[in-house]
Amino acid sequence: MSGLVVERSLPRFAAARAWSSLRGSGRAGEVGPLRLADVPTPSPPGPDWALVRPRLAGICGSDLATVDGRSSRYFEDLVSFPFVPGHEVVGILETAPAGSALAPGTRVVVEPVIGCLPRGLEPPCPACAERDVGACQHVAFGRIAPGLQIGYCRDTGGGWSTAGLVAHASQLHPVPETMDDETAVLVEPTACAVHAVAQAPATSGEVVAVLGAGTLGLLVVAALRHLADPGTLLVGARYPHQRRLASELGADLAVPEDQLPRSVRRATGSLAAAGALSGGAAVVFDCVGSAASLRAALGMVRPRGTVVLVGMPGPATVDLAPLWHRQVVLQGVYAYGLEHLQGEPRRTFEVALELAARCRLGRLVSAAYPLERFEAALAHAGQAGRRGAVKVVFDLRSRRPSSRPAPDPGAPR
Amino acid sequence: MSTRTPDPRRALPGSPAAARALLGRAKNTLRRDLPFPWSPPTWPTSVPAPRDRPALGAAYETDWARRYPVRLVRAVLLDNVLRPAVHLLAAPEVRGGELLALLDPPVVFVANHASHLDTPVLLSLLPPRLRHHTVVAAAADHFFDRRWKAHLWAGLLSAVPVERHRVNRRSAEVALGLIEDGWNLLIYPEGGRTPDGWPQPHRGGAAYLAVRSGRPVVPLHLRGTDRMLPRGADRLRRGRVTVTVGQPLHPEPGEDARALAARIERAVARLAAESRSDWWAARRLPEPERTELVAGPEAAPWRRAWARPPDPAAPRPPRTEDELPWLRDRRAPWRRRGAAP
Amino acid sequence: MSPRPGYVLDVDRSTPPVLFWHGEGFRLERLPEGSRVIYPPEPLPPLPDPIGAIRRALEEPLGDSQPLRSLLRPGMRLTICFDDVSLPLPPMRRPDVRQLVIEQVLDLAAEAGVDDVCLIAALALHRRMTEAELRHALGDRVYDAFAPQGLLLQHDAEDPDGLVHLGRTDLGEDVEISKRAATSDLVVYVNINLVPMDGGHKSVATGLASYRSLRHHHNARTLRHSRSFMDKDHSELHSSNWRMGRLIAACGVRIFQIETTLNNDAFPAQLRFLQRREWEWTAQDRATYLATQAALRRLPDGLRRSVFHQVTAPYRLTSVQAGEVEAVHDETLRHVYAQQLVEVEGQSDVLTMGLPYICPYNVNSIMNPILVACLGLGYLFNMYRGRPLVREGGVLILSHPTPRSFHPAHHPSYIDFFEEVLAETTDPGEIGKYEEAYATDPWYVHLYRTGNAYHGVHPFYMWYWCAHALEHLGGVIVVGGDPAAVRRLGFKPASTLADALEMAADVVGPSPSVTHLHAPPLLMADVR
Repeated sequence: MSGLVVERSLPRFAAARAWSSLRGSGRAGEVGPLRLADVPTPSPPGPDWALVRPRLAGICGSDLATVDGRSSRYFEDLVSFPFVPGHEVVGILETAPAGSALAPGTRVVVEPVIGCLPRGLEPPCPACAERDVGACQHVAFGRIAPGLQIGYCRDTGGGWSTAGLVAHASQLHPVPETMDDETAVLVEPTACAVHAVAQAPATSGEVVAVLGAGTLGLLVVAALRHLADPGTLLVGARYPHQRRLASELGADLAVPEDQLPRSVRRATGSLAAAGALSGGAAVVFDCVGSAASLRAALGMVRPRGTVVLVGMPGPATVDLAPLWHRQVVLQGVYAYGLEHLQGEPRRTFEVALELAARCRLGRLVSAAYPLERFEAALAHAGQAGRRGAVKVVFDLRSRRPSSRPAPDPGAPR
Repeated sequence: MSTRTPDPRRALPGSPAAARALLGRAKNTLRRDLPFPWSPPTWPTSVPAPRDRPALGAAYETDWARRYPVRLVRAVLLDNVLRPAVHLLAAPEVRGGELLALLDPPVVFVANHASHLDTPVLLSLLPPRLRHHTVVAAAADHFFDRRWKAHLWAGLLSAVPVERHRVNRRSAEVALGLIEDGWNLLIYPEGGRTPDGWPQPHRGGAAYLAVRSGRPVVPLHLRGTDRMLPRGADRLRRGRVTVTVGQPLHPEPGEDARALAARIERAVARLAAESRSDWWAARRLPEPERTELVAGPEAAPWRRAWARPPDPAAPRPPRTEDELPWLRDRRAPWRRRGAAP
Repeated sequence: MSPRPGYVLDVDRSTPPVLFWHGEGFRLERLPEGSRVIYPPEPLPPLPDPIGAIRRALEEPLGDSQPLRSLLRPGMRLTICFDDVSLPLPPMRRPDVRQLVIEQVLDLAAEAGVDDVCLIAALALHRRMTEAELRHALGDRVYDAFAPQGLLLQHDAEDPDGLVHLGRTDLGEDVEISKRAATSDLVVYVNINLVPMDGGHKSVATGLASYRSLRHHHNARTLRHSRSFMDKDHSELHSSNWRMGRLIAACGVRIFQIETTLNNDAFPAQLRFLQRREWEWTAQDRATYLATQAALRRLPDGLRRSVFHQVTAPYRLTSVQAGEVEAVHDETLRHVYAQQLVEVEGQSDVLTMGLPYICPYNVNSIMNPILVACLGLGYLFNMYRGRPLVREGGVLILSHPTPRSFHPAHHPSYIDFFEEVLAETTDPGEIGKYEEAYATDPWYVHLYRTGNAYHGVHPFYMWYWCAHALEHLGGVIVVGGDPAAVRRLGFKPASTLADALEMAADVVGPSPSVTHLHAPPLLMADVR
């Protein structure tokens, strides 16, 4: 059984960092910490765990940051090496967990956060007690090795492997028959977007700006359009295909990212001074996570507005004077949990499954690669925008030809 | 790293082939006119040239080229340079040359036109009494568009400018005046070199001049010059040229230029047929200008060019490497002691 | 030798390549045989004594006006208005005509003992002029005498206290102009009539008006019915301005109009090849051309732009007339036509033109894609009398690099217009729904009033100016333009003229007739 493994090797991380900064994201290939290896099938840590055989596994921005050696050192103690990456997974249940209604052979998406329940911690932390697993305080403790999520944990395996992964019964969500694998693999990032929109302040009738239109940015646009009620939804996207998709998913206006402050100013009719708007957007979703994007977001949010950090940030140098002066709330959102949108609280993944089906999000999958061609896949994902792609996935469905006839003319080379 | 295989067509640096290529390029550069901003602009035909500036094109004055000293120099050059060169390169064969001896100048020579070589070949074949008293009608927009070109062609070949695309009263009057002064005129009624080897329809200028002056028209036909220096070629090849001379055509009393032009066209076509067969066979063709042998197929340009018959007098095709294995040997000549690999 | 009139050249085999302007550069293009090239007339001889001519014009006014001297009296309120930086193009070598005229007007006012004098730059919704530009137009003497006292104003169409609503015309058009002008005893307006569109009642009715007043004639409907807006008698734009002008006169605002015309000497001697017909280029012209091209190729964009914007024209005065507006304007038109009119026989399928680096709205600024469209489809397309140079359904081929760059201080609303409005629609009739929002945007108003920005609504006007051409043409192709920007404008990009002509043939049919407008220097085609 082959799979991609990330090992703890400081020189390799350093080399990957240097290499990717020279040649571009996803190009660290041979020198990086990722390699293709024989991996054993993980054994379930308990009876309430199940073995999942992945069908499609997405390449996420955080995965790229890991293989590029760019991710924050903050995560060092929250992962356990060697691990198999891949937390955006749709797969088939090989074994059924004890005390669950799911039968082997069921198609499931995996909710990768490993909270108190899978870790067998009794009593659970206050967040897990509320089923807000994203805020779990115990991701480094309990009966399995530390790891924020499946895909960062030594004991669970991950999606980028044919050996499969183990997941706790609480982490499994059956996929409706009518949903194709491409749509299902986007449920996990969709859940992040849903969570971000649900956690952000109400945006009803307000001007909302989304900065960046990679996978996450586009999903936030879709979630905003269907779960919130923004007055004007503006999107700043670097690449033309991203602007087109953003408009299709519900943006009122999609402009080049450097034009977004201008459009926000137009939409809010504000003045401008000192590089910031007098008014501005009520909420800005920063789906990039860089210092530059945070700076831009602070320049276009209105006083007492909120900047929501959706994209995974790292160390950043940002002048916080405007944040202080304009009394802006800087809000981080991570993962998923329980959402109080309308009516009774629902799990984020349930909402995301509905949204993914409704918006036909499978179209965001631009290319699928077999595991052996992981270097090409990562390079494609790292240059996704420039190469006209959105989401790049690994196709692990035995040896059948991919269900997508022609992924992308410029893709596998 | 992919290994780059050298392009086999590309000559190795420093090899004789490369040197030849370099020389060829340099020659091309020199030969070709520099484009406009680098060289002086040409004057649009429709714009009248200002009086204070010596005119070019159809309005170019060629009187100086017929003054005695210039004629003397030209005669010396024609007899001692041009004729030997033509005989060396073209080995011309003249059919019906005896007709030339009987001519009563001045006359109008008309010929088919396939190459810039036509004029030198014809001039060098004319008997001396005609050769030194012949002016050549040359396209005003091609040979007289630059000052140096106008001087060169007027001086060397005694060219006079004619307008080929439109009727220009002035150039017609000038040509008429020259005929009346006793000069023979060589004119190509096709108005330009053939693009595909087959004759083009005639224009009426030669017939007009003959009718106006009452002088006879002598049809001539050249075969082979287009193989030696076709239109657009950048180098001259050796070859064999056949010139066929026809009976002079006298304008009939009351004949208009249009009718005479048709006769001239037929006469030249008949000479073309004659040069491919014999006098009698050509004589019997009722409409030689319409036969496929002379006029070529009525088809797309490439098919017309394709249908050109092989020329028996054609020079050998250029030597190929297959034929001469030593050409393949890229070693320097002094290293070629041993057998070629 | 007297200057030659304009010329229509028939292109044949011996025609040298023809010069096309291409933004901050040039192209030499071979036009297909049988094309026509329209060359502007050569510069008319200037007035031998411009100062004397101006004095005579002020002393002997046209129409029912009295000499300026007798209109001036102590204690009166005198306002002198003048055309802004958009005229003439390129800016005139010092001394500017405005300086010459205004100095004499002020001389007379001083003699007459007029104390309350104020100068207003008649900007309408254009950007405010910088100090350097004002000094250039008025001269240092005038500037130093008035600016420090706060008596050199720039018209502010958004100043609620500085405007007065005079009433409505018969057709319900609001007339709202500068209060200072409306409450003056005499308004002297100093025009530079570079093209036939300038001057007449348009000077005051447009130059000193507010948005509320301008929108009645600066809209898609009016400009579609202005054929062309360079031809006063067939221009709805002018009809509306004339109605307004007559209302202003009826309200008792007394206007003493001074109009001046310039000859066609638009480029300095170093660049004289721009004014010569290609077959007459001397060795020196060719060397200048080659050297200029070689130098321009090596310069970065910004530097190249500033090199061009430093070019000043050796324009000379060909006529000056003063007095009653309409009488003056008729005489002015006669002089403009004498310099610019070229008779052309019939329309063609395709019209080609090279667009220069400058248009009225980017003096010392950047020519953005919207201004490219406005210069080609607005100004140059409309330089005709009778019929357009290109037939209905024909194709216009422009040559300009059309970079997607905007001057952030001068054209802030243009950027948003380009990204927001043109992304939605390029139909001049459709964009009207966005107009109000841009016209009232407080930030644009702020920048217009305090900075050097064109008014928020100005890009809409630029697009309205294209309305007639857009309705008339079957397609517009831009040679050598940035493809993305060109497509945003609704035009087609082509990399070479040959490609463009081939694309045009798809629209107008094979072997189309082609006419090239060899301007600037400007010319007006009188199409029969």
